Amino acid sequence: MRSAQKRSEPETGQPAKTDEESARGRTDTLAELKGLLRRVHEEGDEGALPLLREILDEVPTLARRLMDPAKQAELSMIKSYAGDDLLVRETLPQTLRAMREELGGKDPSPLERLLVERVVATWFSLQYFEAIYAQNIRKLTIQQSEFHQKRIDHAHRRHLSAVRTLAQVRKLLKGRTTVAQINIAEKQINSAS
Amino acid sequence: MSPWERRNRGGLYYTRSRKVAGRVVREYVGTGPLAELAAELDAEERWQREEQRQASREERECMEALEEPIEELCEAAEILAQSALVAAGYRQHNRGEWRKRREKRTEEE
Repeated sequence: MRSAQKRSEPETGQPAKTDEESARGRTDTLAELKGLLRRVHEEGDEGALPLLREILDEVPTLARRLMDPAKQAELSMIKSYAGDDLLVRETLPQTLRAMREELGGKDPSPLERLLVERVVATWFSLQYFEAIYAQNIRKLTIQQSEFHQKRIDHAHRRHLSAVRTLAQVRKLLKGRTTVAQINIAEKQINSAS
Repeated sequence: MSPWERRNRGGLYYTRSRKVAGRVVREYVGTGPLAELAAELDAEERWQREEQRQASREERECMEALEEPIEELCEAAEILAQSALVAAGYRQHNRGEWRKRREKRTEEE
């Protein structure tokens, strides 16, 4: 039952979770949200909505925590992309930071920040795979070349999807005092529409 | 199977095996120093192929390891975005456009 699954966050004074527990908690919460979304979308079960809002309400730091593994991947990619080139290694994080700020705009909600992070991560992974392909194009076999092209296509689709979702959320939720924005934000406001 | 075949009359004969239309075909190369040279060149080629395969495998594994957290981020962000939209009263129409859900009419209306 939901009451038995109450999540404890470090900010609430509860003991801090280990990385493994935290990852498991994230996975469980996302699986639960996925199940509720399926109920709403496929079965038209609107009774799932209060529970969905409750979960969003229970995990105010989830959006921020989701960014950590992606940041680690980004650092690894920067290292691999830049190689020994110190200039690239120094300037690339700044470029990505500037991109984040530009896309995030003024005072983005935690959900928007997460979606911006996703756009930046997918954009950079696309650049990374294209660069690797371009660097090795002369020594690749047809099979290897196809493998790289498939990976680039996948990265491209993933990036477009990230941009589309950010645009949708901006268009539909921006400027509204929605339950969704409030539930994901750190500070909870009860007068949501 | 060893590529060196011992003949009845004595001596070793170097052979190469390859698949042609699903069947193993054996090519007889020869004996003596020339055969030994051919065997060395073949071994060198095999070693290079194996090196290349290993390098490709490692590169693929490395890319997959880099992609995994990004895939996770994408999936999680999508779930949260959809949850936020649904909680705000939207519904996705045929897995495409998001539309505002219609309010149910009360019986008095």
